[in-house]
Amino acid sequence: MRIELKKFGNVLVSRPAGREAYLAMSAYVTKDLGEKESIVIDFDGVKVLTPSWADEVITRLAENHSISVENTDNPTVRETLKTLEKYSGLKTV
Amino acid sequence: MNNDFKLASDWVKDTVPLQIDEKYHCATRDIFQSRLDLMLNFLLSNTKITENDVYIMSAIAGEIGNNSFDHNLGNWPDIAGIFFSYEVDDEKLEIVLADRGQGVFKTLKRVKPELKDDLEALFTAFNEKISGRAPEDRGNGLKFVKESIRQTKSHLVFLSGKAKAELNDQIEIEKNEEISGCLAVISN
Repeated sequence: MRIELKKFGNVLVSRPAGREAYLAMSAYVTKDLGEKESIVIDFDGVKVLTPSWADEVITRLAENHSISVENTDNPTVRETLKTLEKYSGLKTV
Repeated sequence: MNNDFKLASDWVKDTVPLQIDEKYHCATRDIFQSRLDLMLNFLLSNTKITENDVYIMSAIAGEIGNNSFDHNLGNWPDIAGIFFSYEVDDEKLEIVLADRGQGVFKTLKRVKPELKDDLEALFTAFNEKISGRAPEDRGNGLKFVKESIRQTKSHLVFLSGKAKAELNDQIEIEKNEEISGCLAVISN
């Protein structure tokens, strides 16, 4: 499954907004996805990402799924992923 | 430059808080988010600051501003919300954020009771992994801020309580005049 984050906005910075996005994904996007099935997260179109938003979404998705990432050229995306890997134990494939 | 810093500094130093202009005061997170979006679009359209630097400076401001709301929601000592402004002069940008909240020491002491003072709290906030924060599952933001400042060769002054952290490619923490809450100045 592929999740295009730009569908949730291009400035993704707060925990409440991240929580809201995760709940929407759980209800409508990942609902029928089996545990351990992999998810591709596409960052194309994201201008600003912070660990607060990403921790509520990507770290939580990674608890039950194998996560891979695409289009991570944006510097805030790269730095956020590094921060989550170092401090939240995020693992991507 | 520095006009907004003076306003924010006076706001967090006074025991009886000054009234601040509505254009600087984000009483709620939604107001802050919309003004952050406006700043991002303004900087991209009207300045010579590189696109990547605009994104990173916006992310740093977003993380610091949202931290204020995360840690003080429902618990503001007097005035709810944050001070947020920016001044830009061609390629030079200065962003000022402040809150009259609990401050880093009081917030972190809940999850790390051995912390002694504001100096240790700032060191921890910018450098150490905070584990076992449940039910407060957060705490990575200022490490991200530190690394982003270092990579973009920008500059951050962050005050909380009686401590001041100054970051560029290094971090220095020292004692400072006491303020209520936090004050941050980000510049490129």
